[in-house]
Amino acid sequence: MSDSHETPSIDRRLLDQPWRFWSTVAVAGTLLGGIILGALIIPVVQGRSAGLDAYTAICRALGILPGSPAQPQPSDRVQRTPVSQVVWTSELLHILARADPARGRTKALESCAACHGETGIAVAPDVPHLAGQSGPAIYKQLSDYRTGSRAHDLMAGIARALDETALADIAAYYAGRPMRNPNPATLAPAPAEIITLVELGDPRRGIPPCASCHRAGSGGPIETPVLAEQRDEYFIQQINLYASGQRRNDLYARMRTIAAQLTPSEIAGLAAYYRAGFR
Amino acid sequence: MHSVKRLCLAHFWVAFAFFAAACAIGTWQMWVRSPLGASVGTPGQYYMLVTAHGVALAFVLTTFFIMGFGYFVATTALDRQLPGKAWAWGAYWLAVVGVVVAFAPIMNGQASVLYTFYPPLTGSAWFYIGLVLLVVASWIWAVLMMVAMTAWKRENPGRPVPLAMFATVANAVMWLWTTVGVAVQLLFQVIPAALGLVHTIDVGLSRTLFSWTLHAIVYFWLIPAYIAFYTMVPRAAGGRLYSDTMGRLTFILFLVYSLPVGLHHLLMDPEHGNATKFIQVVLTAFVSVPTLLTIFTITASLEIAGRLRGGRGPFGWIATLPWDRPMVLATGLSFVMLGFGGFGGLINMGYGMNAMVHNTSWVTAHFHLIFGGSVVIMYFAICYEIWPRLTGREHPTLSLLRLQLWSWFVGMMVMTLPWHWLGLQGQWRRVANFNYADPIIAGWGPWVIVSLIGGIILLASALLFLRNLAVLHRGAVLAVARPLYAIAVHPPQRVPAVLNSFGLWNVLVLVLMLVAYGLPIAQFLIEPSPSAIVHRMR
Ligand code: HEC
Ligand code: HEC
Ligand code: HEM
Ligand SMILES: [Cu+2]
Repeated sequence: MSDSHETPSIDRRLLDQPWRFWSTVAVAGTLLGGIILGALIIPVVQGRSAGLDAYTAICRALGILPGSPAQPQPSDRVQRTPVSQVVWTSELLHILARADPARGRTKALESCAACHGETGIAVAPDVPHLAGQSGPAIYKQLSDYRTGSRAHDLMAGIARALDETALADIAAYYAGRPMRNPNPATLAPAPAEIITLVELGDPRRGIPPCASCHRAGSGGPIETPVLAEQRDEYFIQQINLYASGQRRNDLYARMRTIAAQLTPSEIAGLAAYYRAGFR
Repeated sequence: MHSVKRLCLAHFWVAFAFFAAACAIGTWQMWVRSPLGASVGTPGQYYMLVTAHGVALAFVLTTFFIMGFGYFVATTALDRQLPGKAWAWGAYWLAVVGVVVAFAPIMNGQASVLYTFYPPLTGSAWFYIGLVLLVVASWIWAVLMMVAMTAWKRENPGRPVPLAMFATVANAVMWLWTTVGVAVQLLFQVIPAALGLVHTIDVGLSRTLFSWTLHAIVYFWLIPAYIAFYTMVPRAAGGRLYSDTMGRLTFILFLVYSLPVGLHHLLMDPEHGNATKFIQVVLTAFVSVPTLLTIFTITASLEIAGRLRGGRGPFGWIATLPWDRPMVLATGLSFVMLGFGGFGGLINMGYGMNAMVHNTSWVTAHFHLIFGGSVVIMYFAICYEIWPRLTGREHPTLSLLRLQLWSWFVGMMVMTLPWHWLGLQGQWRRVANFNYADPIIAGWGPWVIVSLIGGIILLASALLFLRNLAVLHRGAVLAVARPLYAIAVHPPQRVPAVLNSFGLWNVLVLVLMLVAYGLPIAQFLIEPSPSAIVHRMR
């Protein structure tokens, strides 16, 4: 986009000179003005009234140091008590992605199959099915048992005996068993208010639709467990544990908040809804 | 016309087919959000169709219209053949394929991620790939515009490039800069995530790259309207353009100041320091300059026309303007909407006030008014002006054209004014249904219904627009050839080289972008922030 192919005469070029000069000055001037005001004067003045030295205030304004130049404290000094030790870093996601289901199967047969079944179909009513459960969900729950974030005497002992890769391998094994999904053919007819809870929630009580997280592909949190075809005894027990606060390893109290709003008949209805369709 | 008629019409009809369908979807959305449609549709369907509506209007309508209009200007304003016509047709088909590839997953419910993408949410990779194809096609268009101008300058050494073409090339150059941000975001972050190649995504970086594009893309959409203001309106009103130099400065200022300002869309985001936001807000203040220049110059041009037609006194010339002509009427209506919308824009620009309207319906109402209103009404006027030249047939009557422009204006005001008000009361944007049983929210209901009425008027107006164009494809009245572009009061014999080319301005854009976006982007590479887990929609 240059004029190289034109052959401007000397006086034409002279005529253009001031245009070039002043437009550059104007643009550079606005830029410089913005920088001096925004990166120098304002943070220094704000920092002074917040008791910060000029250097800290400027670094904060530029985003090099955390915090605001107008506030004395970074706001994240508060002591945090995480409900779970699991952090979904990309390293962890890689460990899960590289897990070996064959190794997992060997270990599962050794130490899990007695209760959760060889393929993840549990025998006793209070033991959850693991077949087709999502890998991150299994991993998170095992880690939480291990660190004590989720309390259960039996499972805590079992999970502590396993190392990180073993957890990932076993999770991959059970996750790889045939996927569960409500089977429309055998789906028990559910009452309309239960379907509404699942599909639309109840904004009046602040209950979001269960399906907005618990349906495959809904974009819910990564650790969201699959509920389809879960045992209803286990389902009811867990909702009650959330509601009473005895189970408290859900991040941001997502499930505790919801469970506390559900009535016993809704819990039973939801449990029946999700159990339906088991092959 | 040098036989780009079919090329232009092919672009325009794609644009307006998507436009009409999207207006129908928009009206459905408004219904679902109102108390009348409380039990209609699921949230999943709502987000699917908001995505379709946003993509159709923000990406398809605009890009196809601007490409088609660019080819028209390049042949009519320069009065020469379009160089690389085969490339232009290739770009057209590439863009069509891109749109099909992007819309298949949207309508399949696999890409309900909204037109701003919203990472770490990711939809089907095809959605993004389709949009990349559309952008690549528009790059071909941009290069063709620059080639056409360069060739003309070679044949006409020392002469000023006609203003319409100068502005079109300014837009093309700006568009090449603009799309860098979103292209990097899609190619290096979002598409790998959608394909499952990576599991985490740095959302701060992603939002920053999108903000690079987000402001300037709006000016990309807007510039055709400004081209009409400067080069068509004065002639349509029976006058002359008050100043050709003002026009050149305006388009140059758009090129220079639209780009280093995108962080004003991230004022509430935590990943940037106050100073970097401040610098971009200062630069943002300067993008109002070209709009003020335009209001001044066009009003002055209209005053010339009004006085030539016998208008007297400080305001008498307004009454004597030929308001029955679509182009003049559209300009008047557009200016009214620009007034309201510009005022809203000033509020968005202020850090403190923005905090109050951020993510509320205020924002959606604002861009419907200024983009769907003041800009799109000028798209209509442009089409009414050039369609006779494309089809060789004259409008059988102007009254239906006026009815269409008035109904668009009335519909837009009726829809957006209450929508702004709801935003001030805290109504969230991008929410599928509201709980009108809640006593606070119940008060919103009547206003949403008023907006819905506005939406229905707009839908009717959109259909009337299609009808007004369609009749020109088989009408009997043959068009008479008449000049389109306005002459300036002092037609420029020669202009300084900086007002006739873009070399210096590109250097200044580069400097501004380095300063404005250097640290905001570099910080993510110097000290990577915690990444978010990719949420796949499948
Ligand atoms: C003695 C029986 C027993 C054995 C052996 C056992 N589990 Fe469990 N498991 C249970 C019970 C009971 C629960 C429900 C605990 C609760 O209420 O918190 C459970 C819960 C779980 C959960 C949580 C499921 C959910 O949906 O939240 C996971 C995951 C799990 N077990 C995995 C394993 C793995 C892996 C092994 C083998 C290494 C194993 N279990 C061995 C009895 C057992
Ligand atoms: C915002 C997302 C979200 C919504 C909405 C949601 N859940 Fe959950 N749910 C979760 C997550 C995440 C977990 C796992 C929490 C943890 O880490 O312990 C969970 C766990 C559960 C569990 C325990 C499953 C197990 O295997 O241990 C049950 C039962 C459950 N949810 C039922 C429901 C029901 C019923 C609804 C609707 C009324 C619902 N959830 C709505 C996210 C959600
Ligand atoms: C019949 C006319 C129209 C109606 C009734 C309408 C209505 C709507 C509604 C209700 C939304 C969703 C808002 C939300 O969920 O918060 C929306 C979004 C949107 N509209 Fe329109 N609209 C119309 C015309 C237009 C036009 C002409 C344009 C631009 C040319 C446009 C551009 C957009 C965009 C880009 C979005 C996406 C917003 C997002 O993703 O949040 N609309 N529209
Ligand atoms: Cu902007």
